Amino acid sequence: MIRIGLRDARAHFGRFVMSIIAIALGVSFVVGSFCFREMMNNQVDQMLASNSDADVYVRGDTEQKDDTSASFAASSSGSESGSDSTQTSTESKNYNRIDVSLVDTIGSVQGVDTAEAVYEVNGLVLVGKDGNAVSTMGGMTSGMGLSQGTWRSATLTQGRWAKAKDEITLHTFAAETAGLNVGDTTKLVYPDGPADVRVVGIFSTASSQAGAIIIGLDPATAKEYFQQQSGQIGTARYLTVYGSAAQGQPLSVEQQQTLADRINKALPADANAVAVTGQSVRDDNAASTKKALGFIQPLILIFAIIALFVGSFIITNTFSMIVRESMRGYALLRSIGASPVQVFVTVAVQAVLLGLVGSGIGIGLGWGMVKGIVALMARMGTPMTGAVNPSVSDMLVGLIVGVLVTLIGASLPARRAAMAPPIQAMNETVNPEKPVWPRGIIGAIMMVLGVCAWAVCWRIAWVNTNGGEVSPWSRFNDLATTLGTGWPLGIGAGLIVIGVIVLAPALVTPTSAVLGWIPSHVFTVTGRLATRNLSRSKRRTANTAAALFVGVAIVSCLGVIASSAKASVAGIVDSGLKSDFSAMSVSNGQIPDDAIEAIKNTEGIDTVSQSRMLMGVTYGSGDDEASAMTFAEQPSLFTKVFAPVTNAGDADKALRDGELVVGLEVAKDNGWKVGDEVRVNGRQVVVDEAATAKAQADYQAQVKGTIDNLTAQAQQLMAAGDMAGAQAKTKEIEKVSDDAKNVDPATMVKTKNETTHVTMKVGAIIENSIYRSMVLMNDDAANKIANKYTMFTIMLFINGKSGIDLDGLKTRLIDAVKPYYVVNVQNRDEFKSTMSSMVDQILLVLYALLALSIVIAIFGIVNTLALSVSERTKEIGLLRAIGTSRAQIRGMLGIEAAIIAVFGTVLGMVVGVAAGVVIRAVYEANGLSTLSIPWNQLAVFLALSILVGLIASVSPASRALKQPVLDAVASE
Amino acid sequence: MDDHVVAQAIDLTKVYGDADNRVLALDHVNVEFERGQMTAIMGPSGSGKSTLMHCMAGLDQPTSGKVIVEGLEVSAMNQRQLTKLRREQIGFIFQSFNLVPTLSAEENILLPLQIAKKPIDRAWFKQVVSVVGLEHRLKHRPSQLSGGQQQRVACARAMMARPSVIFADEPTGNLDSHSSREVLGFLKQSVQQYGQSIVMVTHDPRAASYADRVLVLADGNITQDLRHPSYDRILEVFADEGNEDGDAEPNA
Repeated sequence: MIRIGLRDARAHFGRFVMSIIAIALGVSFVVGSFCFREMMNNQVDQMLASNSDADVYVRGDTEQKDDTSASFAASSSGSESGSDSTQTSTESKNYNRIDVSLVDTIGSVQGVDTAEAVYEVNGLVLVGKDGNAVSTMGGMTSGMGLSQGTWRSATLTQGRWAKAKDEITLHTFAAETAGLNVGDTTKLVYPDGPADVRVVGIFSTASSQAGAIIIGLDPATAKEYFQQQSGQIGTARYLTVYGSAAQGQPLSVEQQQTLADRINKALPADANAVAVTGQSVRDDNAASTKKALGFIQPLILIFAIIALFVGSFIITNTFSMIVRESMRGYALLRSIGASPVQVFVTVAVQAVLLGLVGSGIGIGLGWGMVKGIVALMARMGTPMTGAVNPSVSDMLVGLIVGVLVTLIGASLPARRAAMAPPIQAMNETVNPEKPVWPRGIIGAIMMVLGVCAWAVCWRIAWVNTNGGEVSPWSRFNDLATTLGTGWPLGIGAGLIVIGVIVLAPALVTPTSAVLGWIPSHVFTVTGRLATRNLSRSKRRTANTAAALFVGVAIVSCLGVIASSAKASVAGIVDSGLKSDFSAMSVSNGQIPDDAIEAIKNTEGIDTVSQSRMLMGVTYGSGDDEASAMTFAEQPSLFTKVFAPVTNAGDADKALRDGELVVGLEVAKDNGWKVGDEVRVNGRQVVVDEAATAKAQADYQAQVKGTIDNLTAQAQQLMAAGDMAGAQAKTKEIEKVSDDAKNVDPATMVKTKNETTHVTMKVGAIIENSIYRSMVLMNDDAANKIANKYTMFTIMLFINGKSGIDLDGLKTRLIDAVKPYYVVNVQNRDEFKSTMSSMVDQILLVLYALLALSIVIAIFGIVNTLALSVSERTKEIGLLRAIGTSRAQIRGMLGIEAAIIAVFGTVLGMVVGVAAGVVIRAVYEANGLSTLSIPWNQLAVFLALSILVGLIASVSPASRALKQPVLDAVASE
Repeated sequence: MDDHVVAQAIDLTKVYGDADNRVLALDHVNVEFERGQMTAIMGPSGSGKSTLMHCMAGLDQPTSGKVIVEGLEVSAMNQRQLTKLRREQIGFIFQSFNLVPTLSAEENILLPLQIAKKPIDRAWFKQVVSVVGLEHRLKHRPSQLSGGQQQRVACARAMMARPSVIFADEPTGNLDSHSSREVLGFLKQSVQQYGQSIVMVTHDPRAASYADRVLVLADGNITQDLRHPSYDRILEVFADEGNEDGDAEPNA
């Protein structure tokens, strides 16, 4: 029996091609998704191993809420699905900062080689050899204060480490990308403006940096900018410690633990610091990074499931064809004594073979896919060194999934072959389809339940925003509170999607009547024939459409959300933004003061409004202390730049009067109302007189010591009669004292943090989405709690003089900021598109997904049509015999395919748009304030689906026409 | 060509298979089918009777020779011309599987006209339907009709377009004797009343006895050409043929 199966398989190979492609596609997504995840994990591990390579880290011992940068990115994009995963810091949790002076304490612990605070400066821009700013897809440019021994995994390959502000050392990737070599001079844009720098060295790291441009800075320079950026002096997030136990090599985990224990003993109790092993930090970081990247795999897997789902019924269809054609053969086998099981086996053997071949190809394809992605990323500037080869378990999973799906797909036709009584098998009778109404009822019930779940979800979201009770039943309310919005949303979506798939066969007849209305009036005969043909096997039609349904549902749901996000953002710009231009730093950092001056001096400028961010501002005291992004604005903000969308109070008046203007989100989080008095804790950096005096005294003492020492040596040499040596020493003495005279007193200045507390009144609450999570105050108020060291200009809003030529002004502005590289001037439209550029990235992913589901759907439609054509050979022959032209047959099948495609697409759109509307409503408070349904896009999808159907019908129609009319109608 | 000839085969030869495995299905056949007559083609299995009809109807390409229907050379036609021929000149009746299952009886009958986008002659439709006795079955689907009824629908469909000639391939092959008589009676009636030309392949002598003319084929040659033969005469001829060839079919 197995031999018969194998022989049949060889005979049917042509038939299997499509099934093999489907299985291969499905399996390739499965394997590819695993492979991709492993590659990313591997990359993360590699990067952590070389980037966080310390043996012991000393960090704060109390966890803190994060405040600044991440939430800024999320709120300004106005979208829930923020893609800031790339920026997800390698720190999973935030701890209190610790005093860098602990370095001395730690350095003296036995077994410590070096202990240092490594300062990192973000938002730098490196100017490449060609005079343009270097940027890559991979991410940001960052500078680190590096010197010998501060970063063990970094190996200097050329030159030396930077020792001054005008020197830099480049990572190999950075040097390559920028086209710079040791000795070249270029410009580096520091947060406060560009500076001429010389490349003094190049270093390499074991792992690639995934496209990040890493610049080694002079440690002192790095420290200075780090303090500016963080607004904190003399503190660091963590200190890195290298141990000496392994002679310069990384310590083992035990050695790390011993060293950490020893350091912990040495740390003073009031330092609020704790030493942890490097391994534990790496593990934590790896876990959090991997979690952040974890969303990618399920996304790929969804499409793997669609592909396999389609694959399974392509296989069912294919085997149905094969079984139908071989029915006489099976009947013969049965009549000479083969058992049903044996007949089943002959079919199952073919399925297993097909599954093996398909999975094998799929594994290779998945592997190639990940390799392709990696190659593509490398070309776009994000080289990955993570391993891309699938593990044995990946391959096994792929193989098992592939074979299992094939077997499941083939089992129904195989069963039919096995169970058919020999006599019935001889006669070619088509059994009428089982009624579809039970499925209709079950599907409808599931959909109703799903809609209820969505309604509950909507209600919970509404209550969360507006207060009140979810329902009159308290027990239900408790349940709703514990569930939140996520669960009902997900359960509802799941029920509706499955409900539609279950219900679909019952919808085929009414739908094809409706969708077939136009074709059956335009093409009277072919249209009607096509429409009726669809209702013949409703399940098959519905399954074919289901593939497109799921894909289109996902795509239209995302489409609605993306479009709403875009509209929500555009809404601010359209209705709110009044200024002609905006300027911001492309490195997401501050705008240099010189650049601001240059803009202000540009001809034709009327007003320039500065938005300055205040570092480290908190509100309240004690346990209620909460941080919020705080900006200092000019009093004219609301009249010249943004029209306020006021929730309570008078925003314009409040700002002018020095009261706080609070974003709705912040107000809600803290329970503030207009008129409330709030304690504002600001931070200022001031000169520490005592420390400065001490530093100067220390320096003088040190110089004096050196001179005394040299004088003593000179005297000794003189006594020994070495006049030349003594003279040299005298020269040295002169040099040291000259240096001491010439030293810049500024380097002696020590600064410290001072916290100021001011009580302010909440004057207004506004809900412009850009300001939702911010607190605004005017410049005067801000100056009371912060000074120039803790306030940075983030954005400028520029108005031209009335009647001026805006295009000309824009050109002049761009020229004015050109020397600063990082400042980007945009007019109102460009500003709007910047705000929605992330949304566009989502849309790009969306189109990729759409293309994928279309490809899969085409396979499904082609296969289903091929099966129905093979079942209708005689009928099509008859139609030809009574005068139907070839074009009419093609037309009939084209209409059938198009209706299937439109059916799936319309179902998908209805469900997807509904899901999008619900999700938008649920996350309304998170910035999706405007509902926008992308009708044009949906119309394109619909048109596309018709096209897809027509394309899919080409090959089955050709097959139908290839059959000679005679074969179809001859009685034997 | 004479106006009384509706279809004609000239030196028609059909060879199946390759050089090693040659089967001569038709061997230089010359025949004329007359207008307004029912012609039956008889012969044992493999005699070439079906091949002759398929070639005449343009369903099969002859190896050599000519087929002419209504003065048009069928054997030289391309697909487009064949489609036109089927729409305008030829009607078909098959042994089985001859109705579109998704269409009602009425829709099946009207299908050829609709495919050809020709106007429907309602009076003619009523007449045809009443002749075949399907007035009360028009809304039924083929699966709701008996075999005889289905074949009557097929006859009505073939008649509807008023083709020059109807080719019927074993029209009674799947029917019981009662239904056979009904269908044959209807075909005969259409010849006598409306002057329809019919070419019918059959190996049922009873069916052949309804014909105006019976052609007997053996080994690709026409061996007998009988005018208005009686049932007994046909049986007699067949008995002779059987004796000569030794492989005559048992009478159905």
